[in-house]
Amino acid sequence: MEHRILITVAQDEIAPRFDLTTEVLLVTLSENDDLIARKSFLLAHASGDELCDLALSRDMGVIVCGAIEDEYYHYLRWKRIEVIDSVMGPVEEVISCLVQGKLKTGDILYQRTREKE
Amino acid sequence: MLKRIATLGSFPCPDLPRLVDGLPIGIALLDGHGHILMLNKTLEALTGFSREEVKGLPCRHVLRSRACVQNCPHARKENQVVETDCINRHRRKIPIRITPVTVHNQEGQPICILDVVEDLTTLKEMEARLSQSAGQGQIIGRSPAMEKILRLVPVIAQHDSPLLITGEIGTGKDLLAESVHKASPRSREPFVRFSCGPMPSEMLDTELFGRMVGQGSEIQPGRFQQAQGGTLYLSEISELPQLQQTALVRYVDEGTILPVGASKPIAVNARLMASTAESPEKLVQEGRLREDLFHRISAIRLHLPKLQERGEDLEFLLHHFLTHFAHRFKKEITTISAEALHIIREHSFPGNIRELKNIIEFAAMVCTDEEIRAEHIPGHLSRTLTQTPKHLASKQRKTLGKKS
Repeated sequence: MEHRILITVAQDEIAPRFDLTTEVLLVTLSENDDLIARKSFLLAHASGDELCDLALSRDMGVIVCGAIEDEYYHYLRWKRIEVIDSVMGPVEEVISCLVQGKLKTGDILYQRTREKE
Repeated sequence: MLKRIATLGSFPCPDLPRLVDGLPIGIALLDGHGHILMLNKTLEALTGFSREEVKGLPCRHVLRSRACVQNCPHARKENQVVETDCINRHRRKIPIRITPVTVHNQEGQPICILDVVEDLTTLKEMEARLSQSAGQGQIIGRSPAMEKILRLVPVIAQHDSPLLITGEIGTGKDLLAESVHKASPRSREPFVRFSCGPMPSEMLDTELFGRMVGQGSEIQPGRFQQAQGGTLYLSEISELPQLQQTALVRYVDEGTILPVGASKPIAVNARLMASTAESPEKLVQEGRLREDLFHRISAIRLHLPKLQERGEDLEFLLHHFLTHFAHRFKKEITTISAEALHIIREHSFPGNIRELKNIIEFAAMVCTDEEIRAEHIPGHLSRTLTQTPKHLASKQRKTLGKKS
């Protein structure tokens, strides 16, 4: 069975806030977690409600995002959508983790900058 | 970076992490690219992230504020205070104030940025409470009759005397009672509403006055105990049986109630408000309301006029509800056609404001464009006006003439 995943995007990284997202990436993975389709969506304006509607109308099974408010989180969970939130990192890294089936809530996928002595 | 800060002054620099940890406000230390160098303990508690796990990350992913996404405070030339909100790791939205401070070295070169983050939750809650008690809650009106009542609300609210509200169904009695409570010094305490509908006498006693449970040592609270310190509002008081009306007389006189199963009365402090849709004098004549109770609860009496007597309020409320439901249904409805307005104006509104609200809710629900038209109005209203009135027909012809 295919997995349909919605990823909130800001430029080339995960959007810091779900409710302020204006770009999403819809990814479809095969039963073996192979990437079979990806499609970008630009929203007219940022709205958490509309993002929830989009996820429901497109029959998404998983949402990957940064910060998400309690209200949206529980609504999506109630609608049986898995929410992997508090994810930080470049989109390609996130997709790579998804394909490997090892992305989880709170994952930080940035290469850290080192403090210069 | 910390070593560079240590060389800033001629005196030995104090242990910076310990210094900022002691502060009761959130502090984030950022490098020139907006990456986190450290968070103090207050900010760790606010964001839910520890300094170790977020070190080196872009601050927008740690603070996760609206300003970070829409109007980054660091992108501006001057350090400006920003009031915004953030969502922490526990998915809680918190109102915050961010004050960015650029730290310079002795040569005036910027070396890092301090983000001072204040949690405004308490402040915002206080503002909300004040605005609620300063206004009249949700009750609105522009007609002289309503303006007179709205002017009285803050005055009445300052007293503890019982209040009787009269008015037909759907005129807003419950809302007015709640507005008086919100404007009163009791506003922080509970507002308990009880509908005196028909129910067995003992159950009614338990519901109102509570009952003794266990070995008679504990009280299962009734509405009076729940309203302790606040307001108890009894809607349709005439539905209350004579026995409970007598108990209310005793409460107004002595300030005590007798819970079911208790041997002695207990003192309760709740302001009593009551309402009825019928004339209280008529109820007394018919023996449905005890005269002694009527005189006690009508120490202050307010009468809400029916919608037809509120003149300009019809259109004012109509547009108020239209805006409300357009927003709720996420529609771009801005106007109402002359024909639809005529149908509404000609209606007698036996259900008063509640009925008007329902009509507009229905119209907004079925309307698909910017204007509410006659076909959006519920059928039972438009059926009474099957033919377009002459003056409207001529008006429409004139409008069409102008367009052509």
